[in-house]
Amino acid sequence: MTEPLTSPARPILSIEGLSKQFGDHTAVDDVSLDVRPGEVVAIIGPSGSGKSTLLRCINLLESPTTGRITVGGIPTEVDGKVSQRELVALRRKVGMVFQSFNLFPHLTVLRNISLPQERVLGRSRAEADARSMALLEQVGLASKASSHPPRCSGGQQQRVAIARALALDPSVMLFDEPTSALDPELGLEVLSVMRQLADEGMTMIVVTHEIHFASDVADRLIVMADGRIIEQGDPKTVIDDPQVERTRTFLSAIRDR
Amino acid sequence: MSTSLINDWGEWLPRLWDGLLVSLQVTGLSLVLGFVIGLGFALLSSAGSGLVRWPAILLVEIGRGMPALVMLQLVYFGLPGVGITFDAFPATVVALTLTTAAYTSEIIRAGLRAVPAGELEAADALGLSHVDAMRFVVIPQGLRIALPTLMGFAILIFQVSALAYSLGLPELLGQAYSIGAATFRYLDVLVLAGLLYLAITIPASWLVDRLERRLSKHLG
Repeated sequence: MTEPLTSPARPILSIEGLSKQFGDHTAVDDVSLDVRPGEVVAIIGPSGSGKSTLLRCINLLESPTTGRITVGGIPTEVDGKVSQRELVALRRKVGMVFQSFNLFPHLTVLRNISLPQERVLGRSRAEADARSMALLEQVGLASKASSHPPRCSGGQQQRVAIARALALDPSVMLFDEPTSALDPELGLEVLSVMRQLADEGMTMIVVTHEIHFASDVADRLIVMADGRIIEQGDPKTVIDDPQVERTRTFLSAIRDR
Repeated sequence: MSTSLINDWGEWLPRLWDGLLVSLQVTGLSLVLGFVIGLGFALLSSAGSGLVRWPAILLVEIGRGMPALVMLQLVYFGLPGVGITFDAFPATVVALTLTTAAYTSEIIRAGLRAVPAGELEAADALGLSHVDAMRFVVIPQGLRIALPTLMGFAILIFQVSALAYSLGLPELLGQAYSIGAATFRYLDVLVLAGLLYLAITIPASWLVDRLERRLSKHLG
């Protein structure tokens, strides 16, 4: 965390001039962002600040109005139409975890993790299952392999969702408020898996309200408002001594909660 | 109830039984073919392209709007006018298949739409193709959601198959009618035919209820 913010290492993810319009409303306004390999970036901001939209633009769940996204050195111009091939290539390198888990409830936990590996990466069932079991072990849920998601707690479902995304060997993991739908103690077990992942060197972008997680785990904290990055830097510095008035207001609002 | 009625019923039963088997055959065939075509139309009428979607929706609405009796008459008496001739059995199957396809495509479409959008987003984010997302995520769950309604519809089509008597098909009602015409004991024979219909529909409804309860417990 004491490393300089502008590391000489080539960024693994680079966003240039990304904007997203919904009709008249500009949800993301000309955002540029470089993320180094292994860096953990936390994004906070009031609701409607565009942080989730930015995240969803990175793997093109929302198609940005303009901008360029480079993952692992391969740029994708996102102005206008992105070809199906580019779309799949980009999504292969970017894993995503949703607020509402979005597991497939009719498949077992193991199938949830193995099926995408078989269909997207062409792994054999045995290969995929071996990888799935190793990941379930890692997130502490090996005993749940043959359960269906509705039989798991929210925290367990979210850990399965993390394993499902990791199974495709992404270069970058995106987390969209991964603990917002969870009771605090269940959120903790998810955060601990994320912390472990960060320690192992996974590049992560986390949209969150968990200020403690942001300050303990993130290498960089980004504050967004009105679709723009209004402040960024070392998490502890930003939290203890915000330079921008809106950051101060927002931080005191979530502290009071 | 006189012993003679019991004797008559015993005498009529073999013919009515044959009729019941014909009713079950046309129903079964129409349902199997109709479900497959219905699934196809459900997918077409939820397609992204309007060029595909609107013609599919139009055909489904025509199929749903058309009374089954009209559909039967059209296939059997109408199509020979353009050189397509069917016997009563295949004509019934064709007509009831079309009716089944039109209705079930709407039932299945509603089932597919009930699958949460978040799961489709997850499938997208994982890089699954649209076809894979439909095949592995949406269709299995959508069909499961639609299953009780589909089975309810299957019972309805079994009842509707009685209309095929108007094509001279020797199904249950047709047999009952011809026994009635020969004996003038319409009331007695129609009551027996009715009982045979009920012998199928009541247990079937009971099964659907049980299935519905089991599925709602499973998915809930």
